[in-house]
Amino acid sequence: MLILEFLGKRIAQGLLIIFITSLIIFTLLRVVPGDPVRLIVGGMAPPDVVEKVATKMGLRDPIIVQYGRYMRGLLQGDLGQSYLRPRSGMIATGGQYIDPTKSDMAPVIDLILERLPFTLQLGGMALLFALLMSFPIGIAGGLHQHGWQNALAFGVQSLFVSIPNFWLAIVLILFLSVKLKLLPALGYQGFSYVLLPAFVLAVEIAPFIIRTLTTSLGEVMQSTFIDEARVRGLSRRRIVYSHALRNAAVPLVNLLGIQLSTLIGGVLVIEYIFDYPGLGNLTVVSVVGRDFPVIQGIAITTSAVFVFINIIVDLVAYLIDPRVEI
Amino acid sequence: MTATTIIAAEQDQTPTRIQSVNRRILLAAWRMPSFRVGFFIFVALLLVSVVYPEISSVSATKMVVKDKFLPPVLLGEKWVWEHPLGTDQLGRDMLMRSFIGLRYSLLVGVVTVVLIFIIGCGLGLFAGFKGKWWDIVIMRITDAQLSIPMIILAITILGVSRPTVPTIIIVLALSGWPLYARVARSAAVTERGKEYVRGLRVLGAGDWRILLLFAAPNILPPIAFVAVLDVARMMIFEAILGFLGLGIQPPTPSFGSIIADSRKYLINAWWIATIPGIFLAVALTSINLMGSALEKARNRIYGGL
Repeated sequence: MLILEFLGKRIAQGLLIIFITSLIIFTLLRVVPGDPVRLIVGGMAPPDVVEKVATKMGLRDPIIVQYGRYMRGLLQGDLGQSYLRPRSGMIATGGQYIDPTKSDMAPVIDLILERLPFTLQLGGMALLFALLMSFPIGIAGGLHQHGWQNALAFGVQSLFVSIPNFWLAIVLILFLSVKLKLLPALGYQGFSYVLLPAFVLAVEIAPFIIRTLTTSLGEVMQSTFIDEARVRGLSRRRIVYSHALRNAAVPLVNLLGIQLSTLIGGVLVIEYIFDYPGLGNLTVVSVVGRDFPVIQGIAITTSAVFVFINIIVDLVAYLIDPRVEI
Repeated sequence: MTATTIIAAEQDQTPTRIQSVNRRILLAAWRMPSFRVGFFIFVALLLVSVVYPEISSVSATKMVVKDKFLPPVLLGEKWVWEHPLGTDQLGRDMLMRSFIGLRYSLLVGVVTVVLIFIIGCGLGLFAGFKGKWWDIVIMRITDAQLSIPMIILAITILGVSRPTVPTIIIVLALSGWPLYARVARSAAVTERGKEYVRGLRVLGAGDWRILLLFAAPNILPPIAFVAVLDVARMMIFEAILGFLGLGIQPPTPSFGSIIADSRKYLINAWWIATIPGIFLAVALTSINLMGSALEKARNRIYGGL
């Protein structure tokens, strides 16, 4: 019952957050300079054509009217249609004129759903790599607070957090793909194309996991129930893995919820560099092309993912440690 | 006696000499070798990036096509002493370009964090102290802002408006404040219930007076120590924006745009991409070393150890 109540409350809050997010993005896009119509009709079109198309697309109505129209569509699961991408998949350029008011433009929801699995795959692999990297280092560092293991954890974490992700990506492409030809890097033609971008992302997330794991494990190991477990004669392995880690995991799970936005931001840049066909790449291209409906759709999707994962994170934290308040 | 020293005295069970908490944290951080290493590297980089471009006659933007693709000293063929770190595809001096890039990177990083600190902590303190509707409204906006990844917000704004140094700083600050608002708010909520605040209320002090003169000096320094780490984060963001073509615009060099341009020459002229990256990584490492030392010191002192 408690959990149901919690879910209900959080989902309501989540919907509110998504609503505010969409409002912020929607207003921002229309307030900052840069007219999408100019790009659609091409630079040579006379101003009256621009105005005509803009009026037809509803871009000259007051923002609140436009937003109301957009929200009505959103409630019916319709995120609108891209300004730039026809259904066929080609990107319209300034030269050829495609009427964006017609129905031959790709629906935003399709564009997003098509790419979301790729991004989730990349994010999942990155998280897996990051956990594989940081668990040994973090646990060793947490158990030996004054030993070289802690210094190692500190060093790795300071180093990793200081490497700009896009630079690491380029250097790795140069060495692993171009020089040694070990891994493919650009585009996507199979699972092996995920590995390199996922590794770069993992390097970006790992320091946060290492830091949290080291501190929280170090704190837990000093608490009395660990001493008591030793007195009870439990093996060290048992103490660490089934008693200490479980308690140290709560801050870690919380951290993953907070760091999610770093991960999403990282995904965006990494996808762009590796030309990986995910949401991030779509975002960059859409922003450059001022494809408002796509940008809005992506912002709403990411904030929904963010809200959803944070609810899960809180639930998991509660399941691990029932003392946590939800 | 200020509120800060009261806290300090409380924590020191046997006060030999009463020192403010902040002084003690700085001192504890200073005793760590990692802080000192970071500090010296940072100061050196800062000095060199401020002074060198002023006294040197080499230009960061002047193109000398006959000198293009010169490798760094002692690496490869054809290197010259005039360009210790080589030249790029248009014969511009890499050393100077890196220093100018570093200058802007540091400028953007520091100013942005100061702005974020002011906006975030200001809103957070206000929300936490006022409570009720203010709290709910401000915190929901914070949540919404948190759920839009900062980089999406930044490229959305910069992608459609013209990126200049002030706009970059404002955009980064706008997208970075929510975490500070959260931290400051939770600190303010705890602080509100404390004895001295209630005491001040009894004495008839107004909200603003308590908040600005007494509560803020207790709440803000611990947050400020950790904010150092965010300078590094903002510098990375600045570089990412430059890399996407949404940062400081050419011909002014910035780390991001240098690296983005150098991708085409990666195989023949590896140093163009590598050198700015190393500069950036060293600068970031120095800041992160200082930041984590400060954080450790803070946790140790507040933990009462």
